[in-house]
Amino acid sequence: MLAGWIVALAEANGFMAQSTSVPGVAQRTGATIYYVELFPKDAAKKARQEPILAMMPVPGDVDIVIASEMMEAGRALMRGFVTARTTLIASTHRIYAISEKEPLGDGRRDTAQIHQLAKDTAGRFIAFDMDAAANTTGSFISAVLFGALAGSEALPFAHNAFEDIIRSGKKGVSSSLRGFELGLSEAAQTTRSNTVKHTDPATGVPPAPAVAPLLQRLNDDFAAPTHEMLRHGLTRVVDYQDPAYGTLYLDRMAAIHGLDQAQNGSGKSWRLTNDVARYLALKMTYEDTIRVADLKTRAGRFARFPDELGTTDAQIITVTEFMHPRVQELCDILPAALGRFILRSPKTKAALGVLFGKGRKIQTTSLRGFVLLYGVSGLKFMRRASLRFAVEEERTKTWLDTITNTAPENYALACEIAGLQRLIKGYGSTYDRGLGNFTTITGALDAFKAAPNAHKQLKTLKDAALMDEDGAALNAAMNKLHKGRKT
Amino acid sequence: MAERSFTNEVQKLTIGAGETFHGEGILAVTKALLQSGVSYVGGYQGAPISHLMDVLSDAEPILNDLGVHFETSANEGAAAAMLAASVNYPLRGAVTWKSTVGTNVASDALASVASSGVMGGTLIIVGEDYGEGSSIMQERSHPFAMKSQIWLLDPRPNLTSITTMVEKGFALSEASNTPVMLELRIRACHVSGSFAAKDNVRPEFTLRDAMENPVRDYGRVVLPPSNFVHEVEKIERRWPAAVAHIKKHKFNEFLGGHKGDVGIVVQGGLYNTLMRAMELAGLADSFGRTDIPIYCLNVTYPLIEDEMRGFCADKRAVLMVEEGQPEYIEQALNTILRQADLPTRIVGKEVLPRAGEYTGQVLLSGLQAFFETYSKGKIKAATPDTPLDPKAQKKLTQSVPIRPVGFCTGCPERPVFTAMKLVQRELGNFHVSCDIGCHLFSILPPFNIGNTTMGYGLGWSGASAFNTPADKRTISIMGDGGFWHNGLTSGVGNSVFNKNDNILVIIDNGYSAATGGQDLLSSRAKNKTRVTGQPIENAVRGLGVDWVRPVNTYDLGTMVKTLTEALTTDVKGPKVILAQSECMLNKQRREKPLTNAAIKKGQRTIKTRFGVDADTCTGDHACIRLSGCPSLSIADNPDPLREDPITRVNNDCVGCGVCGEITHAAVLCPSFYSAQVIHNPSGWDRWRAGFRGAVIGFLQRRADKKRARYSFGTAP
Repeated sequence: MLAGWIVALAEANGFMAQSTSVPGVAQRTGATIYYVELFPKDAAKKARQEPILAMMPVPGDVDIVIASEMMEAGRALMRGFVTARTTLIASTHRIYAISEKEPLGDGRRDTAQIHQLAKDTAGRFIAFDMDAAANTTGSFISAVLFGALAGSEALPFAHNAFEDIIRSGKKGVSSSLRGFELGLSEAAQTTRSNTVKHTDPATGVPPAPAVAPLLQRLNDDFAAPTHEMLRHGLTRVVDYQDPAYGTLYLDRMAAIHGLDQAQNGSGKSWRLTNDVARYLALKMTYEDTIRVADLKTRAGRFARFPDELGTTDAQIITVTEFMHPRVQELCDILPAALGRFILRSPKTKAALGVLFGKGRKIQTTSLRGFVLLYGVSGLKFMRRASLRFAVEEERTKTWLDTITNTAPENYALACEIAGLQRLIKGYGSTYDRGLGNFTTITGALDAFKAAPNAHKQLKTLKDAALMDEDGAALNAAMNKLHKGRKT
Repeated sequence: MAERSFTNEVQKLTIGAGETFHGEGILAVTKALLQSGVSYVGGYQGAPISHLMDVLSDAEPILNDLGVHFETSANEGAAAAMLAASVNYPLRGAVTWKSTVGTNVASDALASVASSGVMGGTLIIVGEDYGEGSSIMQERSHPFAMKSQIWLLDPRPNLTSITTMVEKGFALSEASNTPVMLELRIRACHVSGSFAAKDNVRPEFTLRDAMENPVRDYGRVVLPPSNFVHEVEKIERRWPAAVAHIKKHKFNEFLGGHKGDVGIVVQGGLYNTLMRAMELAGLADSFGRTDIPIYCLNVTYPLIEDEMRGFCADKRAVLMVEEGQPEYIEQALNTILRQADLPTRIVGKEVLPRAGEYTGQVLLSGLQAFFETYSKGKIKAATPDTPLDPKAQKKLTQSVPIRPVGFCTGCPERPVFTAMKLVQRELGNFHVSCDIGCHLFSILPPFNIGNTTMGYGLGWSGASAFNTPADKRTISIMGDGGFWHNGLTSGVGNSVFNKNDNILVIIDNGYSAATGGQDLLSSRAKNKTRVTGQPIENAVRGLGVDWVRPVNTYDLGTMVKTLTEALTTDVKGPKVILAQSECMLNKQRREKPLTNAAIKKGQRTIKTRFGVDADTCTGDHACIRLSGCPSLSIADNPDPLREDPITRVNNDCVGCGVCGEITHAAVLCPSFYSAQVIHNPSGWDRWRAGFRGAVIGFLQRRADKKRARYSFGTAP
């Protein structure tokens, strides 16, 4: 659409235009690259000859590059199409490649380097989130890009000439014009930094009396640079269970904080305290059925739907959850002895398996579905007695002990051990896999923990565990480690 | 119904003399065919000539008015065989396909028609899918022309040159009784431009005339002794006739200057790129004016020897710009000069790469190297700006991921590979033989499924060697496009006859999706001009396959079960799973306007889409690894404690339901939810929602109040 507009714009304003395109591999999600050449009709008339227009761009010979996504700008840079003569117009939003979405951790590539190179290389660099601009105006990104092109003044045509081209179209003229206007005004302000806005919640609501002493203790007993993380952790833990659970969290953190202090933590930005504060909170708030039911039924969640689904009050939304509680998850929330009994008795397990073997769809917006989940969320009171709680407590203690024992000898390694908790997340098979990797790595720890670069080795293993779900990278890293020790 | 509709554009085909045609290369070719008085046109779709087939399809009423028969051929072989109509009768005909893959399939019939010779002009339009954006093996169409003696046209890439060559091509074909091939590179197919139109021509001698007055000439049949006569005729009569015609009608062009001791010979299709490179090197201006002599080959086979000799005779060195390898023209040119005892040095692959597309940059480097040796000082300085330094470029390579390609949002083929991934978790990995089609994306992440791809419809025969007792079976994939192209016989028939014990999964999405969504024999959609609705299941059973299971692709659980059964059953013999669901692109194209219209009209309409709860998603992305849907993306984790990005469902979700199926089948997390949005709700809808809202709201307020007791408030 954009290439068509540009050709029409040029032809209507005294230029010859030629566009060519190469549809990407798979006409599907692959991008199509358009190349447009413009030539003044006057010059052709004067020469009494038709110009020879090229079929593809030559590096160093491109006046305008328009990239509808940030990595496309990177690709144009890579191919040398962006030089000092080039006006580079790029949308800063990302359409992540599968290689970025696939990893178990965070596989997103950094665009800061592309921003910097674009700024340094292009004659002019106009960048803002044009996808968001298209969404707010209900138009397509082409319209915003067309507006940005007009605003860049890189073409010798008046703004209303651009608008005339949009108006000559048949469909979506008004929305396209809105997108165009926004693109135009944003581009006119030229380069914009893409800063993430931090929306601070409404200020000044005092804490409830039940938790005020906890906050007081946090502020009194811990070093200031740890307050933010501890507050996040504490909030999460209390929200998960109750203030008593928060006290347990702070007790544990106090021990770590003391240890950190002894290791001159203040000179290390209190890394140990901060890391443990983060991961202990996550560990103590493991995801069980009660928690899921709680989160699924909250008013705050329901309030988010219209925004997430783009609906208004005129429409009615019904929401269906996809749950797959297995016998394991049932036993997790049962009293420890009962849970253990069922898991050990194949017969009972099989009988229950009939009930809990298949996936369930639960309509949370219906009374039946809601009340069911609401009821499950109410089982919080018996969580402390549950099988899973006992198991998790045991694991937490072991993990904390390892950290505590390691810190005096190797501070950085202790921090890395804390960070290993990042591997354990999710539900069902995902949780099992993460726990398996965690156990594999901690099991190998004894063998190399005395080495001076042990923390680096541990980090290598952790990163490998987050690479693929088959464990191929982790296996390779473990093998390398073993080999390295032998030689 | 094809992906792109040309219903409006085809009206341009009716314009006549005195008017100017504006449009895309492919549309211009169609117009030129009509101006040439063709009687019949056939072909098979595939980039870059898919649009040519779509244009012809949409232009059928116009074609019918002119008495032109258009056929959507079963495959390129069938299309090429159509040209047989021009052997005995003065009928002009044209066929088209993607090359070289299509030319490979067509080569049997092409060789036959080239041997028989033609009475009516025949034009084979090949879309050369070479270089950037290509999806096939990198080969040239050139040797097909050489081996069968078919003349090869490679016009300059502007609409006037292209359309002139179409018209001249028919005349050349008739003058030399030889089929003519017109090669169009991908960008030329999509180039925009204009040319002076002529009136369309109604064929004088019609197909009906031929059918009612059949003519038989034994001398035209490829059978001894005629075949030996054909070979001699090709050399003694047809070739000289072609050379004389090409020379007389000035197919090739002498452009540029006439002085100096260096010159350039270029394939017509590369002329514009060469001129841009010369302009940047300071050797030419924007209008292509240069004092360097240029011999532009709009016909790249046969070569006109005396034109060549004349061009080279007074030159020390000539740069030969010929894309791809082997360098047939360069070799022939050297022979021509050697035989004439001319010492002119031919410089081609010496300064230009053997592999890869000849871009402006490549030609610029070639020009620089050539002139450095043979005319030093001629190039002052190359004008382009210096791009990024190599160091920064290398760094960028690391941070820029390759452009993502894969299955569309809601694609019905994706869950088939999700199912295969789940089955492989249980039973171990299998040898998977792939085919041509969208389903070939299975070889890419996140599926990483598939070992080989041998050709369109050859998925099952690609695994036919593995027909021996083993503890594991092989799986082959074939699309419905490939099935009707030839897989019915080469795959299914072959397996039945040879007692194959393995599995074929046919992706039956109702269209030839990868080439642009054209209809097929088994399409469920009604088509006004073609017969559709012939189920693949009937065809497969008709060939003798007993184990056939149609499965809805979105039903992941059943697909997993069926695959497992096929892989583990004791039943011997070929097993075919029909994975059925309509191509989502086509479905959306059909349904979206209807849904939107219904909503606009105020009718009660339900739209479904999926979402992920940011609260419960822990950022493991197992769902992405199993689904690969483009609408499943990632976003910053709103939880300040969690570091990994959460999964997010984009607004382009079409609510196909696979996400939910995957969470169930693979026992993933409870974060997915499906939302049904009721537009224009009825009174009952409103009442029920109001009642539910009241009760749920009451319970939620109660819970909120409870939670407020533990509120940390907010920092001032």
